[in-house]
Amino acid sequence: MRYLAARLLTVFLAALPAAWHIPLQAAQVCATDDTGKEVCLERPASRIAALSPGATELVWAAGAGDKVVAVVSFSDYPEEAKDVPSVGSHTRMDLERLMELQPDLVIGWVTGNPPEQIEALRDLGLPVFSIEPRSFEGVSHTIERLSQLAGTEAEGFAEAARFREGIGSLERQYRNAEPVSVFYQVWDEPLMTVNNEHLIGKVITLCGGVNVFGDLDRLVPRISAEAVIGANPEAILAGGMGEENRHWLTRWEAFPSIDATASDNLYFVPPSLIQRPTPRMLQGSQLFCEKLDDARAKR
Amino acid sequence: MSRPVTMPLVILAIASLIAMVLSVGIGSVSMTPAEVGAVIFGEGSSLQQTLVLDLRLPRTLAAFATGGLLAVAGALMQVLLRNPLADPYVLGLSGGAAVGALLAMLAGLGGLIVSGSAFAGAMLATLMVFGLAHGTGSWTPSRLLLTGVVVAAGWGAVITLMLAVSPAQRLPGMLYWLMGDVSYARSPWPALVLLFLVCLLLVPLGRSLNVLARGPMQAAALGVSVRPLEWMIYILASLLTATAVTMAGSIGFVGLVVPHMLRLVLGNDQRLILPACALAGGTLLVLADTLARVVIAPEQLPVGVITALLGVPTFLYLLYRSR
Repeated sequence: MRYLAARLLTVFLAALPAAWHIPLQAAQVCATDDTGKEVCLERPASRIAALSPGATELVWAAGAGDKVVAVVSFSDYPEEAKDVPSVGSHTRMDLERLMELQPDLVIGWVTGNPPEQIEALRDLGLPVFSIEPRSFEGVSHTIERLSQLAGTEAEGFAEAARFREGIGSLERQYRNAEPVSVFYQVWDEPLMTVNNEHLIGKVITLCGGVNVFGDLDRLVPRISAEAVIGANPEAILAGGMGEENRHWLTRWEAFPSIDATASDNLYFVPPSLIQRPTPRMLQGSQLFCEKLDDARAKR
Repeated sequence: MSRPVTMPLVILAIASLIAMVLSVGIGSVSMTPAEVGAVIFGEGSSLQQTLVLDLRLPRTLAAFATGGLLAVAGALMQVLLRNPLADPYVLGLSGGAAVGALLAMLAGLGGLIVSGSAFAGAMLATLMVFGLAHGTGSWTPSRLLLTGVVVAAGWGAVITLMLAVSPAQRLPGMLYWLMGDVSYARSPWPALVLLFLVCLLLVPLGRSLNVLARGPMQAAALGVSVRPLEWMIYILASLLTATAVTMAGSIGFVGLVVPHMLRLVLGNDQRLILPACALAGGTLLVLADTLARVVIAPEQLPVGVITALLGVPTFLYLLYRSR
């Protein structure tokens, strides 16, 4: 109740000068998050808590990196993010430490953060802006919205435009490319891939690839090695947790009946460039497209 | 009650008070005892007030209530089934609750709906076991136990199936729920009130429970109406467990270990054991949750891991020493 009263008073006081001096110096900023909730701040955020590694990257991309006061484990990009205090894992945050850092804006992850903890943060009076980009445009749009909330529109909109143009140019370049059937391996044991709805699935399509498991219902389907052999992809690309995991690909060398094995189209794409919905996906997509070009060249 | 009966309860009450003070005083943000005291009396910065009054205190009370409920439910189940291995979860209650909670999580729902769904699952499991154990034949503890164990195994399979087909990003939340985690708890008051009421209700029944623990024949011979009493214990224990599971997921071990520990130390008088269970179970979970919050802060551990790690050696030591 006291918080509310204080907040109302602040709003009232902030509104007072508006009566005499226009424009208002500390203008209210609003944006709608990916759950459809409109988040309004009395003034642009100055202390941001990013509750997923992807959110951290996006806030930096929006030009508001210097305002980040809290991150979660595995927030390893950009390099400066490693120096920001961590509030635990994105699946279970230390709310006490988070409150201590006194953020004025929390960037949540729609499906990654536990709903009850996000609810608890809202109950404590913190504005939570939940994001989850599901498309290339979603990445750009998220950067724009974050920059609006942080008052860094100039940097944010420029970065969003750069990403949009980069993806657009890949799209133009590969629009008429010859299709290559692709199997993308997210994980090794159990064997996991992505469908066409997944952002990585969209990278495959962007590069003129045809995802052999694209029509499956689940976003990240678990499949059998037999299904991969049956689908007979022309190229196999793998990510994973680390950058050194050729053994994920060598397992396919035992099956020369797969076109990808026969033509030696087994490629590694650094997962950090492609598995987070951030501007680095542009670089990851370029790399991905090059691999498919390489496969086309071997025909 | 006579002096030797009240003494252990007073000691346990003091212990639980100390545990709660510790739990409110310790966190990943360090505060001096003086600062915490100031906050309790309405002073301190607004950040300190938020930390103590909005985060630590409700969580401490929730942990106490959950631990107390589980321990009392365990003690009741052991009397009912006359089996030392009985605990609140052995009859498939936690399995039913888990299936309910995981279904809600799988649908992407959170908060109150997960809790409500868990409660519904626990009650459904209770009714199912009770109905099946009743069957066409007689209602015996061994039949009830066996039905419960088999139904629990069935729930286990359903849980594994759900974990296998659920999207990767929902898995961590589900696993935390299955291991038990007090950070799910909302308002602690309903559970605390329930715990208190049940302890009050059980006081006049202590004598009958003592007789029942020796066997239904003896109890009947001594004038206890066995069947209604058994029904009541079963429903009560189920309600307690369901409430606890709803608060904090399925926290194992408290219901099994706390009553046994107390029996080894205090003897098997239900009039003493049941309230003692409420206090000791609450204390154990408050301490365990404090550790879960701070051991590797800012990373948070599920409290179920800590209760097992604390409970197993203590229990084994007491068991070893007892003979």
